[in-house]
Amino acid sequence: MHIPDGLMDPLVAGLGWLEFVVIAAVAIYMSGRRTKDKDLPRIAVLCAGIFVAQMLNFPIGGGTTGHLIGGALFAIMVGPVIAIVGMTVILLIQALMFGDGGLTAFGLNAVNMAIIAPLMGWGVYTMLKPLLSKGEAPSGKAFTAGEAFAIGAGAWASVFVASAACAAELAVSYAVSDGAYGIAATVSVPAMLGYHAVIGVGEAIITVGVAAYVLKVAPEMFKSTASRPAATIGLKSIFSSRIAQATVAILIAFALALPLYFIYSSEGADGLEKTMEDAGIGESEPLLTSPFTYGENYFAALFAGILGFVAVALLGLGMMRVLRAGRPAE
Amino acid sequence: MIVAHVRGHHTRPEELDEHARASWLGRLDPRAKIVGVVVFVVATALLTQTELILASLLLAVSFGAMSQVPYRHLIRMYLGALPFILVASVSVFLFSGLERGFDMWARTSSCVLALLVLASGTETFELFAGLRRLKVPKLVSALLMLTYKYILILGDELERMKTARTARGFKGGRGLLDGRGLRIISYTAGMVFVRASARADNGYEGLMARGFRMDMKQMRTSRLEAGDFAFMAWFACLSSLLVMFQLGVIQ
Repeated sequence: MHIPDGLMDPLVAGLGWLEFVVIAAVAIYMSGRRTKDKDLPRIAVLCAGIFVAQMLNFPIGGGTTGHLIGGALFAIMVGPVIAIVGMTVILLIQALMFGDGGLTAFGLNAVNMAIIAPLMGWGVYTMLKPLLSKGEAPSGKAFTAGEAFAIGAGAWASVFVASAACAAELAVSYAVSDGAYGIAATVSVPAMLGYHAVIGVGEAIITVGVAAYVLKVAPEMFKSTASRPAATIGLKSIFSSRIAQATVAILIAFALALPLYFIYSSEGADGLEKTMEDAGIGESEPLLTSPFTYGENYFAALFAGILGFVAVALLGLGMMRVLRAGRPAE
Repeated sequence: MIVAHVRGHHTRPEELDEHARASWLGRLDPRAKIVGVVVFVVATALLTQTELILASLLLAVSFGAMSQVPYRHLIRMYLGALPFILVASVSVFLFSGLERGFDMWARTSSCVLALLVLASGTETFELFAGLRRLKVPKLVSALLMLTYKYILILGDELERMKTARTARGFKGGRGLLDGRGLRIISYTAGMVFVRASARADNGYEGLMARGFRMDMKQMRTSRLEAGDFAFMAWFACLSSLLVMFQLGVIQ
Protein backbone atom coordinates (compact mmCIF):
# COMPACT_ATOMS: atom_id res chain seq x y z
CA MET A 1 0.00 0.00 0.00
CA HIS A 2 3.09 2.25 -0.12
CA ILE A 3 2.52 4.91 -2.80
CA PRO A 4 5.73 5.88 -4.64
CA ASP A 5 6.68 9.39 -5.82
CA GLY A 6 5.31 10.48 -9.17
CA LEU A 7 2.19 8.35 -8.98
CA MET A 8 -0.13 10.92 -7.40
CA ASP A 9 -1.38 14.20 -8.78
CA PRO A 10 0.50 17.06 -7.02
CA LEU A 11 -2.77 18.57 -5.73
CA VAL A 12 -3.83 15.27 -4.13
CA ALA A 13 -0.33 14.69 -2.72
CA GLY A 14 -0.38 18.24 -1.29
CA LEU A 15 -3.75 17.63 0.34
CA GLY A 16 -2.34 14.44 1.86
CA TRP A 17 0.60 16.36 3.32
CA LEU A 18 -1.75 19.02 4.72
CA GLU A 19 -3.95 16.43 6.44
CA PHE A 20 -0.92 14.54 7.74
CA VAL A 21 0.82 17.64 9.15
CA VAL A 22 -2.29 18.77 11.06
CA ILE A 23 -3.08 15.35 12.57
CA ALA A 24 0.57 14.46 13.22
CA ALA A 25 1.20 17.80 14.97
CA VAL A 26 -1.68 17.12 17.36
CA ALA A 27 -0.56 13.50 17.90
CA ILE A 28 3.08 14.52 18.54
CA TYR A 29 1.97 17.22 20.99
CA MET A 30 -0.30 14.81 22.88
CA SER A 31 2.32 12.00 22.82
CA GLY A 32 4.97 14.39 24.12
CA ARG A 33 2.78 15.22 27.11
CA ARG A 34 2.03 11.56 27.86
CA THR A 35 5.47 10.07 27.20
CA LYS A 36 8.19 9.96 29.82
CA ASP A 37 11.90 9.45 29.06
CA LYS A 38 11.75 5.82 30.06
CA ASP A 39 8.81 5.11 27.73
CA LEU A 40 10.77 6.09 24.64
CA PRO A 41 12.88 2.91 24.16
CA ARG A 42 9.75 0.82 24.76
CA ILE A 43 7.81 2.69 22.06
CA ALA A 44 10.83 2.48 19.74
CA VAL A 45 11.05 -1.25 20.33
CA LEU A 46 7.35 -1.57 19.53
CA CYS A 47 7.92 0.40 16.29
CA ALA A 48 10.81 -1.94 15.46
CA GLY A 49 8.65 -4.93 16.40
CA ILE A 50 5.88 -3.78 14.03
CA PHE A 51 8.46 -3.10 11.30
CA VAL A 52 9.95 -6.58 11.72
CA ALA A 53 6.49 -8.19 12.00
CA GLN A 54 5.74 -6.61 8.59
CA MET A 55 8.53 -8.81 7.19
CA LEU A 56 6.50 -11.91 8.11
CA ASN A 57 4.46 -12.79 5.05
CA PHE A 58 1.37 -14.89 5.66
CA PRO A 59 -0.18 -17.17 3.03
CA ILE A 60 -3.46 -16.01 1.45
CA GLY A 61 -3.92 -18.94 -0.89
CA GLY A 62 -3.29 -19.52 -4.58
CA GLY A 63 0.42 -18.91 -4.07
CA THR A 64 0.01 -15.28 -2.99
CA THR A 65 0.98 -13.78 0.36
CA GLY A 66 0.16 -10.68 2.38
CA HIS A 67 1.91 -9.01 5.26
CA LEU A 68 0.89 -7.34 8.48
CA ILE A 69 0.36 -3.54 8.48
CA GLY A 70 0.19 -3.46 12.26
CA GLY A 71 -1.65 -0.15 12.74
CA ALA A 72 -4.49 -1.73 14.70
CA LEU A 73 -2.13 -3.88 16.79
CA PHE A 74 0.00 -0.84 17.66
CA ALA A 75 -3.06 1.24 18.62
CA ILE A 76 -4.65 -1.55 20.69
CA MET A 77 -1.36 -2.02 22.57
CA VAL A 78 -0.47 1.61 23.34
CA GLY A 79 -3.44 3.75 22.31
CA PRO A 80 -4.09 5.60 19.04
CA VAL A 81 -2.13 8.80 19.70
CA ILE A 82 1.24 7.11 20.29
CA ALA A 83 0.42 4.63 17.51
CA ILE A 84 0.08 7.51 15.02
CA VAL A 85 3.56 8.79 15.94
CA GLY A 86 5.02 5.27 15.96
CA MET A 87 3.56 4.30 12.58
CA THR A 88 4.81 7.62 11.15
CA VAL A 89 8.32 6.73 12.30
CA ILE A 90 8.04 3.27 10.68
CA LEU A 91 6.90 4.81 7.38
CA LEU A 92 9.69 7.41 7.51
CA ILE A 93 12.31 4.67 7.88
CA GLN A 94 10.72 2.69 5.05
CA ALA A 95 10.64 5.76 2.77
CA LEU A 96 14.10 7.08 3.60
CA MET A 97 16.07 3.86 3.99
CA PHE A 98 14.34 1.44 1.62
CA GLY A 99 12.65 3.65 -1.00
CA ASP A 100 9.38 2.02 0.09
CA GLY A 101 6.87 4.85 -0.41
CA GLY A 102 7.79 8.28 -1.78
CA LEU A 103 8.52 11.67 -0.25
CA THR A 104 5.87 13.65 -2.13
CA ALA A 105 3.40 10.82 -1.42
CA PHE A 106 4.53 10.49 2.19
CA GLY A 107 1.58 12.57 3.42
CA LEU A 108 -0.89 10.21 1.76
CA ASN A 109 0.96 7.08 2.90
CA ALA A 110 0.99 8.40 6.44
CA VAL A 111 -2.71 9.34 6.28
CA ASN A 112 -3.58 5.80 5.14
CA MET A 113 -1.28 3.66 7.26
CA ALA A 114 -0.21 5.86 10.18
CA ILE A 115 -3.49 7.70 10.86
CA ILE A 116 -6.51 5.95 9.35
CA ALA A 117 -5.34 2.38 10.14
CA PRO A 118 -4.60 2.92 13.88
CA LEU A 119 -7.64 5.17 14.45
CA MET A 120 -9.99 2.78 12.67
CA GLY A 121 -8.52 -0.31 14.34
CA TRP A 122 -8.62 1.18 17.83
CA GLY A 123 -12.04 2.79 17.28
CA VAL A 124 -13.74 -0.42 16.12
CA TYR A 125 -12.06 -2.49 18.86
CA THR A 126 -13.03 -0.02 21.59
CA MET A 127 -16.64 0.21 20.41
CA LEU A 128 -17.13 -3.55 20.00
CA LYS A 129 -15.32 -4.73 23.13
CA PRO A 130 -17.97 -3.68 25.70
CA LEU A 131 -20.73 -5.05 23.47
CA LEU A 132 -19.15 -8.45 22.81
CA SER A 133 -16.93 -9.16 25.78
CA LYS A 134 -18.80 -10.03 28.98
CA GLY A 135 -17.17 -11.54 32.05
CA GLU A 136 -13.69 -12.92 32.62
CA ALA A 137 -11.53 -14.75 30.06
CA PRO A 138 -11.69 -18.58 30.36
CA SER A 139 -8.75 -20.11 32.23
CA GLY A 140 -5.71 -20.57 30.01
CA LYS A 141 -6.97 -17.99 27.51
CA ALA A 142 -5.70 -14.43 27.16
CA PHE A 143 -9.15 -12.95 26.53
CA THR A 144 -12.78 -13.86 25.84
CA ALA A 145 -14.02 -14.91 22.39
CA GLY A 146 -15.90 -11.59 22.21
CA GLU A 147 -12.75 -9.55 22.82
CA ALA A 148 -10.85 -11.68 20.28
CA PHE A 149 -13.58 -10.89 17.75
CA ALA A 150 -13.37 -7.16 18.61
CA ILE A 151 -9.58 -7.20 18.06
CA GLY A 152 -9.98 -9.09 14.78
CA ALA A 153 -12.74 -6.78 13.55
CA GLY A 154 -10.61 -3.74 14.41
CA ALA A 155 -7.62 -5.17 12.52
CA TRP A 156 -9.74 -6.05 9.47
CA ALA A 157 -11.43 -2.62 9.41
CA SER A 158 -8.06 -0.87 9.72
CA VAL A 159 -6.72 -2.58 6.59
CA PHE A 160 -9.94 -2.33 4.59
CA VAL A 161 -10.63 1.36 5.28
CA ALA A 162 -6.96 2.32 4.74
CA SER A 163 -7.01 0.50 1.39
CA ALA A 164 -10.31 2.21 0.49
CA ALA A 165 -8.69 5.58 1.20
CA CYS A 166 -5.68 4.60 -0.94
CA ALA A 167 -7.98 3.49 -3.79
CA ALA A 168 -9.88 6.80 -3.57
CA GLU A 169 -6.60 8.76 -3.68
CA LEU A 170 -5.46 6.86 -6.78
CA ALA A 171 -8.85 7.34 -8.46
CA VAL A 172 -9.00 11.06 -7.61
CA SER A 173 -5.46 11.57 -8.92
CA TYR A 174 -6.46 9.91 -12.16
CA ALA A 175 -9.66 11.95 -12.47
CA VAL A 176 -8.23 15.40 -11.69
CA SER A 177 -5.11 14.91 -13.86
CA ASP A 178 -7.06 13.55 -16.81
CA GLY A 179 -5.14 10.28 -16.67
CA ALA A 180 -1.60 11.71 -16.26
CA TYR A 181 -1.37 10.49 -12.65
CA GLY A 182 -3.06 7.87 -10.48
CA ILE A 183 -5.00 4.77 -11.46
CA ALA A 184 -8.53 4.71 -12.87
CA ALA A 185 -11.27 4.04 -10.31
CA THR A 186 -12.45 1.05 -12.35
CA VAL A 187 -9.09 -0.61 -11.63
CA SER A 188 -7.99 0.88 -8.29
CA VAL A 189 -11.22 0.47 -6.31
CA PRO A 190 -12.07 -3.20 -7.04
CA ALA A 191 -8.39 -4.26 -7.03
CA MET A 192 -7.49 -2.53 -3.75
CA LEU A 193 -10.72 -3.38 -1.93
CA GLY A 194 -10.91 -6.97 -3.18
CA TYR A 195 -7.30 -7.78 -2.37
CA HIS A 196 -7.29 -6.03 0.99
CA ALA A 197 -10.62 -7.51 2.09
CA VAL A 198 -8.79 -10.86 1.99
CA ILE A 199 -5.49 -9.52 3.37
CA GLY A 200 -7.55 -7.97 6.19
CA VAL A 201 -8.66 -11.47 7.25
CA GLY A 202 -5.00 -12.48 7.57
CA GLU A 203 -4.25 -9.25 9.44
CA ALA A 204 -7.17 -10.00 11.82
CA ILE A 205 -6.03 -13.57 12.53
CA ILE A 206 -2.38 -12.57 13.04
CA THR A 207 -3.32 -9.56 15.21
CA VAL A 208 -5.50 -11.71 17.47
CA GLY A 209 -2.73 -14.33 17.68
CA VAL A 210 -0.02 -11.78 18.50
CA ALA A 211 -2.24 -10.02 21.06
CA ALA A 212 -3.11 -13.36 22.72
CA TYR A 213 0.56 -14.38 22.87
CA VAL A 214 1.83 -11.05 24.19
CA LEU A 215 -1.00 -10.74 26.72
CA LYS A 216 -0.16 -14.18 28.11
CA VAL A 217 3.63 -13.87 28.10
CA ALA A 218 4.26 -10.14 28.69
CA PRO A 219 1.00 -8.39 29.67
CA GLU A 220 2.93 -5.28 30.77
CA MET A 221 3.45 -4.50 27.05
CA PHE A 222 -0.23 -3.58 26.82
CA LYS A 223 -0.15 0.01 27.99
CA SER A 224 -3.91 0.19 28.45
CA THR A 225 -5.48 3.48 27.48
CA ALA A 226 -7.56 3.26 30.64
CA SER A 227 -4.39 3.61 32.73
CA ARG A 228 -3.57 6.98 31.23
CA PRO A 229 -4.93 10.20 32.66
CA ALA A 230 -7.98 11.55 30.83
CA ALA A 231 -7.25 14.08 28.12
CA THR A 232 -7.46 17.63 29.48
CA ILE A 233 -8.86 19.25 26.36
CA GLY A 234 -12.07 21.18 25.92
CA LEU A 235 -15.46 19.46 25.89
CA LYS A 236 -13.94 17.17 28.50
CA SER A 237 -17.29 15.94 29.70
CA ILE A 238 -18.15 14.60 26.25
CA PHE A 239 -14.73 13.19 25.40
CA SER A 240 -14.16 11.42 28.72
CA SER A 241 -16.21 8.42 27.53
CA ARG A 242 -14.15 5.71 25.79
CA ILE A 243 -17.02 5.08 23.38
CA ALA A 244 -17.14 8.78 22.50
CA GLN A 245 -13.35 8.76 21.94
CA ALA A 246 -13.69 5.69 19.71
CA THR A 247 -16.49 7.40 17.77
CA VAL A 248 -14.30 10.46 17.26
CA ALA A 249 -11.41 8.23 16.11
CA ILE A 250 -13.61 6.53 13.50
CA LEU A 251 -15.12 9.85 12.39
CA ILE A 252 -11.63 11.36 11.94
CA ALA A 253 -10.60 8.35 9.85
CA PHE A 254 -13.57 8.94 7.53
CA ALA A 255 -13.21 12.74 7.58
CA LEU A 256 -9.65 12.49 6.25
CA ALA A 257 -11.02 11.13 2.99
CA LEU A 258 -13.57 13.99 2.69
CA PRO A 259 -11.44 16.52 0.75
CA LEU A 260 -10.55 13.80 -1.77
CA TYR A 261 -14.11 12.66 -2.31
CA PHE A 262 -15.15 16.31 -2.78
CA ILE A 263 -12.63 16.75 -5.62
CA TYR A 264 -14.06 13.66 -7.25
CA SER A 265 -17.71 14.61 -6.76
CA SER A 266 -19.82 15.05 -9.88
CA GLU A 267 -21.82 18.16 -10.67
CA GLY A 268 -24.47 16.06 -12.44
CA ALA A 269 -28.02 15.53 -11.18
CA ASP A 270 -28.70 12.75 -8.66
CA GLY A 271 -31.12 9.88 -9.34
CA LEU A 272 -34.28 11.67 -8.19
CA GLU A 273 -33.34 14.96 -9.87
CA LYS A 274 -32.67 13.14 -13.16
CA THR A 275 -36.00 11.28 -12.93
CA MET A 276 -37.79 14.57 -12.24
CA GLU A 277 -36.01 16.20 -15.18
CA ASP A 278 -36.95 13.30 -17.47
CA ALA A 279 -40.57 13.51 -16.31
CA GLY A 280 -40.57 17.29 -16.81
CA ILE A 281 -41.33 18.02 -13.15
CA GLY A 282 -39.71 21.08 -11.57
CA GLU A 283 -39.02 21.77 -7.90
CA SER A 284 -41.69 23.94 -6.22
CA GLU A 285 -40.90 26.66 -3.65
CA PRO A 286 -39.70 25.09 -0.36
CA LEU A 287 -41.73 25.67 2.81
CA LEU A 288 -38.56 26.51 4.73
CA THR A 289 -35.38 27.96 3.25
CA SER A 290 -32.08 26.96 4.85
CA PRO A 291 -29.49 29.70 5.45
CA PHE A 292 -26.78 27.30 4.15
CA THR A 293 -26.14 25.99 0.65
CA TYR A 294 -23.71 23.39 -0.69
CA GLY A 295 -21.77 26.19 -2.42
CA GLU A 296 -20.90 26.94 -6.01
CA ASN A 297 -17.26 25.83 -6.08
CA TYR A 298 -14.97 23.17 -4.59
CA PHE A 299 -13.89 25.10 -1.48
CA ALA A 300 -17.42 26.27 -0.65
CA ALA A 301 -18.67 22.67 -1.01
CA LEU A 302 -15.76 21.41 1.09
CA PHE A 303 -16.51 23.98 3.80
CA ALA A 304 -20.19 23.00 3.76
CA GLY A 305 -19.17 19.34 4.02
CA ILE A 306 -16.88 19.97 7.00
CA LEU A 307 -19.56 22.10 8.69
CA GLY A 308 -22.14 19.35 8.19
CA PHE A 309 -19.68 16.71 9.39
CA VAL A 310 -18.92 18.62 12.61
CA ALA A 311 -22.63 19.33 13.22
CA VAL A 312 -23.63 15.69 12.76
CA ALA A 313 -20.70 14.47 14.91
CA LEU A 314 -21.53 16.88 17.75
CA LEU A 315 -25.23 16.02 17.55
CA GLY A 316 -24.39 12.30 17.70
CA LEU A 317 -22.08 12.79 20.67
CA GLY A 318 -24.69 14.92 22.43
CA MET A 319 -27.34 12.22 21.92
CA MET A 320 -24.95 9.60 23.31
CA ARG A 321 -24.36 11.83 26.32
CA VAL A 322 -28.12 12.19 26.92
CA LEU A 323 -28.66 8.42 26.58
CA ARG A 324 -25.75 7.74 28.93
CA ALA A 325 -27.09 10.22 31.49
CA GLY A 326 -30.41 8.35 31.54
CA ARG A 327 -28.72 5.03 32.49
CA PRO A 328 -27.87 4.09 36.08
CA ALA A 329 -24.15 4.51 36.91
CA GLU A 330 -22.05 1.29 36.59
CA MET B 1 25.11 -8.07 8.97
CA ILE B 2 21.39 -8.23 8.72
CA VAL B 3 20.09 -10.10 5.69
CA ALA B 4 16.39 -10.13 6.51
CA HIS B 5 14.11 -9.85 3.52
CA VAL B 6 11.88 -6.76 3.52
CA ARG B 7 9.32 -7.20 0.75
CA GLY B 8 11.93 -7.45 -1.96
CA HIS B 9 14.42 -5.12 -0.30
CA HIS B 10 17.46 -6.19 1.63
CA THR B 11 18.15 -4.07 4.67
CA ARG B 12 21.22 -1.93 4.63
CA PRO B 13 24.55 -3.79 4.66
CA GLU B 14 27.18 -2.34 7.01
CA GLU B 15 29.63 -1.97 4.09
CA LEU B 16 27.33 0.67 2.67
CA ASP B 17 27.92 2.98 5.64
CA GLU B 18 31.67 2.51 5.17
CA HIS B 19 31.23 3.37 1.49
CA ALA B 20 29.14 6.42 2.41
CA ARG B 21 31.85 7.69 4.74
CA ALA B 22 34.44 7.45 1.96
CA SER B 23 32.47 9.01 -0.93
CA TRP B 24 32.10 12.72 -1.79
CA LEU B 25 28.32 12.39 -1.35
CA GLY B 26 28.75 10.89 2.09
CA ARG B 27 30.94 13.78 3.20
CA LEU B 28 28.31 16.41 2.37
CA ASP B 29 26.15 17.76 5.18
CA PRO B 30 23.01 15.57 5.44
CA ARG B 31 20.80 18.68 5.51
CA ALA B 32 22.11 19.77 2.11
CA LYS B 33 21.51 16.30 0.67
CA ILE B 34 17.97 16.06 2.07
CA VAL B 35 16.99 19.54 0.84
CA GLY B 36 18.57 18.99 -2.60
CA VAL B 37 16.95 15.62 -3.20
CA VAL B 38 13.54 16.70 -1.85
CA VAL B 39 13.52 19.71 -4.21
CA PHE B 40 14.39 17.41 -7.13
CA VAL B 41 11.71 14.84 -6.21
CA VAL B 42 9.00 17.50 -5.80
CA ALA B 43 9.93 19.07 -9.16
CA THR B 44 9.93 15.68 -10.89
CA ALA B 45 6.53 14.81 -9.43
CA LEU B 46 5.15 17.94 -11.14
CA LEU B 47 6.33 16.97 -14.64
CA THR B 48 3.92 15.68 -17.29
CA GLN B 49 5.87 16.25 -20.54
CA THR B 50 7.72 13.14 -21.73
CA GLU B 51 10.95 14.95 -22.74
CA LEU B 52 11.20 16.65 -19.34
CA ILE B 53 10.48 13.42 -17.48
CA LEU B 54 13.23 11.71 -19.49
CA ALA B 55 15.61 14.56 -18.66
CA SER B 56 14.74 14.10 -14.99
CA LEU B 57 15.35 10.33 -15.26
CA LEU B 58 18.70 11.00 -16.91
CA LEU B 59 19.62 13.36 -14.05
CA ALA B 60 18.63 10.75 -11.45
CA VAL B 61 20.68 8.05 -13.21
CA SER B 62 23.66 10.43 -13.49
CA PHE B 63 23.33 11.29 -9.81
CA GLY B 64 23.41 7.56 -9.01
CA ALA B 65 26.43 6.98 -11.27
CA MET B 66 28.41 9.87 -9.77
CA SER B 67 27.46 9.09 -6.19
CA GLN B 68 29.94 6.17 -5.84
CA VAL B 69 27.16 4.07 -4.29
CA PRO B 70 27.70 0.43 -5.42
CA TYR B 71 25.49 0.07 -8.50
CA ARG B 72 24.56 -3.53 -7.59
CA HIS B 73 23.03 -2.27 -4.35
CA LEU B 74 21.12 0.49 -6.16
CA ILE B 75 19.77 -1.95 -8.77
CA ARG B 76 18.71 -4.42 -6.05
CA MET B 77 16.90 -1.70 -4.10
CA TYR B 78 15.25 -0.37 -7.27
CA LEU B 79 14.08 -3.86 -8.24
CA GLY B 80 12.41 -4.10 -4.82
CA ALA B 81 10.32 -1.00 -5.59
CA LEU B 82 9.73 -1.95 -9.25
CA PRO B 83 6.60 -4.14 -8.86
CA PHE B 84 4.46 -1.27 -7.53
CA ILE B 85 5.86 1.14 -10.13
CA LEU B 86 4.97 -1.36 -12.85
CA VAL B 87 1.44 -1.96 -11.52
CA ALA B 88 0.77 1.79 -11.69
CA SER B 89 2.45 2.22 -15.09
CA VAL B 90 0.68 -0.75 -16.70
CA SER B 91 -2.66 0.45 -15.32
CA VAL B 92 -2.10 3.94 -16.79
CA PHE B 93 -0.92 2.36 -20.06
CA LEU B 94 -4.13 0.29 -20.33
CA PHE B 95 -6.41 3.28 -19.70
CA SER B 96 -4.49 6.24 -21.13
CA GLY B 97 -2.10 4.81 -23.71
CA LEU B 98 1.55 3.90 -24.07
CA GLU B 99 3.00 7.41 -23.69
CA ARG B 100 1.33 8.13 -20.37
CA GLY B 101 2.18 4.68 -19.05
CA PHE B 102 5.81 5.26 -20.00
CA ASP B 103 5.72 8.73 -18.39
CA MET B 104 4.44 7.19 -15.17
CA TRP B 105 7.25 4.59 -15.12
CA ALA B 106 9.96 7.15 -15.90
CA ARG B 107 8.70 9.78 -13.44
CA THR B 108 8.28 7.34 -10.56
CA SER B 109 11.62 5.64 -11.31
CA SER B 110 13.37 9.00 -11.35
CA CYS B 111 12.03 9.92 -7.88
CA VAL B 112 12.71 6.47 -6.42
CA LEU B 113 16.30 6.43 -7.80
CA ALA B 114 17.12 9.87 -6.35
CA LEU B 115 15.74 8.81 -2.98
CA LEU B 116 17.66 5.52 -3.02
CA VAL B 117 20.91 7.36 -3.80
CA LEU B 118 20.24 9.72 -0.88
CA ALA B 119 19.53 6.82 1.49
CA SER B 120 22.42 4.68 0.30
CA GLY B 121 24.96 7.51 0.08
CA THR B 122 24.38 8.76 3.62
CA GLU B 123 25.18 7.07 6.90
CA THR B 124 21.89 6.12 8.52
CA PHE B 125 22.31 8.04 11.74
CA GLU B 126 23.70 11.06 9.85
CA LEU B 127 20.47 11.09 7.87
CA PHE B 128 18.37 11.08 11.05
CA ALA B 129 20.59 13.76 12.60
CA GLY B 130 20.08 15.82 9.45
CA LEU B 131 16.31 15.53 9.84
CA ARG B 132 16.57 16.67 13.48
CA ARG B 133 18.60 19.68 12.42
CA LEU B 134 15.93 20.45 9.83
CA LYS B 135 13.53 20.85 12.79
CA VAL B 136 11.81 17.45 12.70
CA PRO B 137 10.28 17.17 16.24
CA LYS B 138 12.68 15.69 18.79
CA LEU B 139 10.21 12.93 19.72
CA VAL B 140 10.10 11.74 16.09
CA SER B 141 13.86 12.01 15.48
CA ALA B 142 14.70 10.23 18.75
CA LEU B 143 12.21 7.48 17.89
CA LEU B 144 13.70 7.21 14.38
CA MET B 145 17.17 6.65 15.80
CA LEU B 146 16.09 4.15 18.46
CA THR B 147 13.69 2.29 16.14
CA TYR B 148 16.36 1.83 13.49
CA LYS B 149 18.77 0.53 16.12
CA TYR B 150 16.21 -2.02 17.34
CA ILE B 151 15.16 -3.02 13.80
CA LEU B 152 18.70 -4.26 13.14
CA ILE B 153 18.67 -6.31 16.35
CA LEU B 154 15.15 -7.69 15.95
CA GLY B 155 15.65 -8.43 12.25
CA ASP B 156 18.51 -10.75 13.14
CA GLU B 157 16.35 -12.25 15.91
CA LEU B 158 13.54 -12.90 13.41
CA GLU B 159 15.95 -14.57 10.98
CA ARG B 160 17.09 -16.94 13.74
CA MET B 161 13.48 -17.75 14.65
CA LYS B 162 12.63 -18.40 10.99
CA THR B 163 15.62 -20.74 10.69
CA ALA B 164 14.56 -22.61 13.84
CA ARG B 165 10.99 -22.82 12.51
CA THR B 166 12.14 -24.18 9.17
CA ALA B 167 14.40 -26.71 10.91
CA ARG B 168 11.30 -28.04 12.70
CA GLY B 169 9.55 -28.59 9.37
CA PHE B 170 7.41 -25.41 9.02
CA LYS B 171 6.92 -24.52 5.37
CA GLY B 172 4.98 -21.23 5.59
CA GLY B 173 1.36 -22.38 5.81
CA ARG B 174 -1.06 -23.26 3.03
CA GLY B 175 -3.53 -20.37 3.16
CA LEU B 176 -5.92 -18.39 5.34
CA LEU B 177 -7.73 -21.60 6.34
CA ASP B 178 -4.54 -23.20 7.67
CA GLY B 179 -5.08 -22.44 11.37
CA ARG B 180 -1.88 -24.13 12.55
CA GLY B 181 0.27 -22.24 10.05
CA LEU B 182 -1.26 -18.88 10.99
CA ARG B 183 -0.90 -19.65 14.70
CA ILE B 184 2.81 -20.35 14.23
CA ILE B 185 3.27 -17.08 12.29
CA SER B 186 1.36 -15.12 14.99
CA TYR B 187 3.43 -16.65 17.76
CA THR B 188 6.64 -15.87 15.86
CA ALA B 189 5.54 -12.22 15.62
CA GLY B 190 4.48 -12.32 19.30
CA MET B 191 7.90 -13.64 20.27
CA VAL B 192 9.54 -10.75 18.39
CA PHE B 193 7.53 -8.31 20.54
CA VAL B 194 8.31 -10.08 23.80
CA ARG B 195 12.04 -10.33 23.09
CA ALA B 196 11.95 -6.70 21.96
CA SER B 197 10.34 -5.69 25.24
CA ALA B 198 13.08 -7.39 27.26
CA ARG B 199 15.73 -5.56 25.27
CA ALA B 200 14.01 -2.18 25.72
CA ASP B 201 14.57 -2.12 29.48
CA ASN B 202 18.29 -2.90 29.14
CA GLY B 203 18.54 -0.44 26.28
CA TYR B 204 17.02 2.35 28.37
CA GLU B 205 19.56 1.95 31.17
CA GLY B 206 22.39 1.93 28.64
CA LEU B 207 21.09 5.07 26.96
CA MET B 208 20.71 6.94 30.25
CA ALA B 209 24.26 5.95 31.21
CA ARG B 210 25.45 7.53 27.95
CA GLY B 211 23.61 10.78 28.73
CA PHE B 212 20.53 10.34 26.54
CA ARG B 213 17.73 12.81 27.43
CA MET B 214 14.85 12.41 24.95
CA ASP B 215 16.79 14.12 22.17
CA MET B 216 19.62 13.47 19.73
CA LYS B 217 22.64 15.44 20.86
CA GLN B 218 25.05 16.17 18.03
CA MET B 219 28.66 15.21 18.69
CA ARG B 220 29.75 17.68 16.02
CA THR B 221 28.11 20.95 15.06
CA SER B 222 29.07 21.20 11.43
CA ARG B 223 28.18 24.25 9.39
CA LEU B 224 27.08 24.15 5.80
CA GLU B 225 30.16 24.59 3.63
CA ALA B 226 30.71 25.71 0.04
CA GLY B 227 30.29 22.15 -1.27
CA ASP B 228 26.94 21.80 0.50
CA PHE B 229 25.67 25.06 -0.96
CA ALA B 230 26.92 24.04 -4.40
CA PHE B 231 25.06 20.71 -4.13
CA MET B 232 21.80 22.42 -3.11
CA ALA B 233 22.21 25.14 -5.77
CA TRP B 234 22.85 22.49 -8.47
CA PHE B 235 19.65 20.61 -7.62
CA ALA B 236 17.65 23.82 -7.16
CA CYS B 237 18.77 25.15 -10.58
CA LEU B 238 18.07 21.91 -12.44
CA SER B 239 14.71 21.43 -10.69
CA SER B 240 13.70 25.05 -11.39
CA LEU B 241 14.64 24.65 -15.06
CA LEU B 242 12.53 21.49 -15.36
CA VAL B 243 9.53 23.16 -13.70
CA MET B 244 9.90 26.33 -15.82
CA PHE B 245 9.93 24.26 -19.01
CA GLN B 246 6.90 22.35 -17.73
CA LEU B 247 4.98 25.55 -16.97
CA GLY B 248 5.96 27.11 -20.30
CA VAL B 249 7.92 29.95 -18.68
CA ILE B 250 10.86 28.87 -20.87
CA GLN B 251 9.97 27.64 -24.34
